[in-house]
Amino acid sequence: MSKRPGGELATRPLHFIWMADCSGSMAVDGKIQSLNTAIKEAIPNMQSVADENPNAQVLVRAIKFSSGAQWHVSQPTDIADFRWEDLSADGVTDMGKALMMVAEQLRIPPMTDRALPPVLVLISDGQPTDDYASGLQALMAEPWGRKAVRISIAIGEDADTEVLQRFIGNPELKPLQANNPEALVKYIKWVSTAVLKSASAPASQTTDSAQAGMNVPIPILPDSEPSSADDVW
Amino acid sequence: MNQILEPGRRVRTESSGMVCEVEGFLGGGGQGEVYRAKAGGQNLALKWYFPASATSEQRSALETLIRMGSPSQRFLWPLELVSASSIKGYGYIMPLREARYKSIVDMMKRRIEPGFRALATAGLELSHSYLQLHAKGLCYRDISFGNVFFDPDSGEVLICDNDNVAVDGQSVSGVYGTPRFMAPEIVTGETVPNTQTDLFSLAVLLFYIFMMHHPLEGKKELAIKCLDLPAMRKLYGTEPVFIFDPVDTSNAPDPVQHKNALLFWGIYPEFLRELFIKAFTEGIRDPQHGRVRESNWRAAMARLRDSIIYCGNCKAENFYDADAMTVSRQAASCWSCRQNLRLPPRLRIGRNLVMLNHDTQLFPHHVDDEKRYDFSQPVATIAQHPTDPNIWGLKNLSSNNWSSTNRKGEVSDVWPGRSVTLAVGTRINFGQVEGEIGF
Repeated sequence: MSKRPGGELATRPLHFIWMADCSGSMAVDGKIQSLNTAIKEAIPNMQSVADENPNAQVLVRAIKFSSGAQWHVSQPTDIADFRWEDLSADGVTDMGKALMMVAEQLRIPPMTDRALPPVLVLISDGQPTDDYASGLQALMAEPWGRKAVRISIAIGEDADTEVLQRFIGNPELKPLQANNPEALVKYIKWVSTAVLKSASAPASQTTDSAQAGMNVPIPILPDSEPSSADDVW
Repeated sequence: MNQILEPGRRVRTESSGMVCEVEGFLGGGGQGEVYRAKAGGQNLALKWYFPASATSEQRSALETLIRMGSPSQRFLWPLELVSASSIKGYGYIMPLREARYKSIVDMMKRRIEPGFRALATAGLELSHSYLQLHAKGLCYRDISFGNVFFDPDSGEVLICDNDNVAVDGQSVSGVYGTPRFMAPEIVTGETVPNTQTDLFSLAVLLFYIFMMHHPLEGKKELAIKCLDLPAMRKLYGTEPVFIFDPVDTSNAPDPVQHKNALLFWGIYPEFLRELFIKAFTEGIRDPQHGRVRESNWRAAMARLRDSIIYCGNCKAENFYDADAMTVSRQAASCWSCRQNLRLPPRLRIGRNLVMLNHDTQLFPHHVDDEKRYDFSQPVATIAQHPTDPNIWGLKNLSSNNWSSTNRKGEVSDVWPGRSVTLAVGTRINFGQVEGEIGF
């Protein structure tokens, strides 16, 4: 017999979507392997963030784009059950297609009408080869697309940071520049913990939290190591 | 990975110069990392700040807290600053939390299932502890889920993350609090955390503990699609309406989404509901004078514990609501099995009423006005007659002699270790006060 009535504290879903560039250039210098490792490292961190958060149900998906785009994990999966299958790299960079497909998923339905701000993480190492602008437009036409916390990570110096900046849509927040595997691991960890935490149940607010123009307080990234073009992949 | 201090690293306490050895990583937060450590043969917790948080203001705040000392043993209070020659920054040591203390989050996710008595005890200890902190002129500034732990069996609490504590009114920077717990006037930017805003956060925490729901999440929350910062600002800042506001029903709970609040609300006695209504109506309108004070909560929690009765059918804990019974004159039913509740005998001492269950204990709190909230050692317990189990009595566990007077007016001594039979109309003189048994 239960000692008290009722159930768990009511939660809202929090959709977290990885959007990964799997174009041929990601095969060079072990970039795709680094990305796979970084995301696998991040999963336990995400699980513990979700575990400590009574207000959110964290649901994760992943989409990959190269020649065309494809859901890598199509079902919103409870982070406790989320498993990462390694991505491989080949083809061009059809980012627009991926943005379009994410937009479709953020439409109501299939999205519920009540949720926490979704988190979209776009990771790319190159120039889009398709009409990314239409994809972005479709994404931003959806209310959940506009409300989403959009973070982008540029892998290496060839990434199109202007496109990644347009995806973020807020000049206060810059794409994260990962020029070496350590930086990538660090940024992936940051989005999957600090940003995830902020979107679901913002932690203690301090006077120095960066909040200008954002609907979710994006925490400050811990001190970055200097990154330069000399870093080797 | 990415930890500042590795196991085996030695740091030194600054004032006593003790060597403190890091044993393992416990957890990370926004400001730093916490480790298990050992110093002078004692197991301790060590917090080390991230470079961005290791400010001189934080250092001097810690020095003040260490100098002032802990308000009570319920606080995992900073004991001493620590630093190391080879690593930038500093940290501090504090007592280590025992494993029996669980987080409120575990309760919200129903990974632990405390009973009502434990919750009332936790509420009592929390309000008592924050009162002690405020009485020292300090304010906590970030009362929330994350920094309170409790023993789900006994209800004993531990308050951690005390490095945000500051002298009330003297801090301009630092934490604003945690969303959903911040007082409306902080959310709207009118003020910074202070003792009065602590009172609001305490009321939210107690509401969560007792109702498994947030006091301001009703129909207005249901209407919000995306619960982001602007929405939270409206819900918890500019338009806060209590879900059980007796006048303004614009934010009433939804029977499906806010089911917990509706299930729990009716279980508690009227006096507790009234206190929550005050906290989230007057307490929102008038932050300076309308809030429920820690001493009010503390009194209500002690009374709540004394109101517990058990269902004779399914054994579930229920509450005797004297106010409601006077109005309805009907026996209440059990929340769990819906059977009518049979009331146990009760003891009236002054204005207090204690339900006498098979496991009831009395404390100095009950029988000595000078020792309010002293629950350290029981002075009486309910006991069964050794040869006739149908006879129940109140056993004197104190070192003082009581005297009892039965309905016929016969007076008897109740020496320490002896029991007085529970019979209607029997009066017991405990020394300072007198109680009367009723049914």
